[in-house]
Amino acid sequence: MSEANDDVRQQVVRAWRAVDAEKFPAFTDVWRRAEARHAGARRRYRRVAVAAVLMAAVFVALKLQAPSPNAVTYIEVAELLGSTSWTAPSDVLLPRHEFDIYQELPGLLESTRAEGGSLL
Amino acid sequence: MRDGDALDNNPHVSISALEAIHGQVYGWALSRCDFNRAAAEDLMQQAYVEVLSGNARFNNKSSLKTFVFGVVENLARSRFRRVTSRLRLLREHAGSLDGAVVEAVLPDEGHSIWPAVKALPPRQRDIIELVFCRELTIEEASGVMGVSIGAGRVHYDRAKKALRVRLRETGVNEE
Repeated sequence: MSEANDDVRQQVVRAWRAVDAEKFPAFTDVWRRAEARHAGARRRYRRVAVAAVLMAAVFVALKLQAPSPNAVTYIEVAELLGSTSWTAPSDVLLPRHEFDIYQELPGLLESTRAEGGSLL
Repeated sequence: MRDGDALDNNPHVSISALEAIHGQVYGWALSRCDFNRAAAEDLMQQAYVEVLSGNARFNNKSSLKTFVFGVVENLARSRFRRVTSRLRLLREHAGSLDGAVVEAVLPDEGHSIWPAVKALPPRQRDIIELVFCRELTIEEASGVMGVSIGAGRVHYDRAKKALRVRLRETGVNEE
């Protein structure tokens, strides 16, 4: 049984030797290419990272510059006083009636004609 | 262990140790790629990149050879999955293919045991290659293949039996 195993093993090894006899690429060449590939990948990663950081910085800067709708704003008192005025609600009556009921008393209507025991 | 030429991202791996197993790694990569030399070289290069970058980290729990073989195996599997999905897409979008998209180039069909080895199921062929030709133990080979030791032993025994039967059938007994 063991001899049979050994025989199988030897024959497989012999057959595989044909595969292994293939000239394989030199280690230094493969290694150099692997290093170049690794360096290229690292460069690409670094570029992407730098671009991401820059984009984040630009985003934050823009965000800081734009006023927030909920931001607290301060009121300048002098400016406020200069820009506001107050009018009485009854002022709307003035152009229509063209008199100032507070200053000019309207003349009272008088009737001298009697009608049924009372003045009209 | 930290040799003078140890890698920065993999302190337990030295360039000289990798160089010492380079030929065997190439052989293993070759059989992972249906003996396509260009694909094997690319696969091996990618495995070295994984080791260089530290994506595949060696922690001295196994031999370096087992570790690098495992990296090659994993990369080959993920590449196979990618190729399979691309082929599926091609089939879906290109209608019918003439079947010549992936061509296996076998090295030496002249040896009479080769057809018997080729006829083995993939797992059995892998463990036979790892144990017989790459001189790994069954435990190490199981680790490379990502199967339990018990499953590895079963594959190994079945492969040996199948090879013996085929050899007997074909009367192969070369010196």
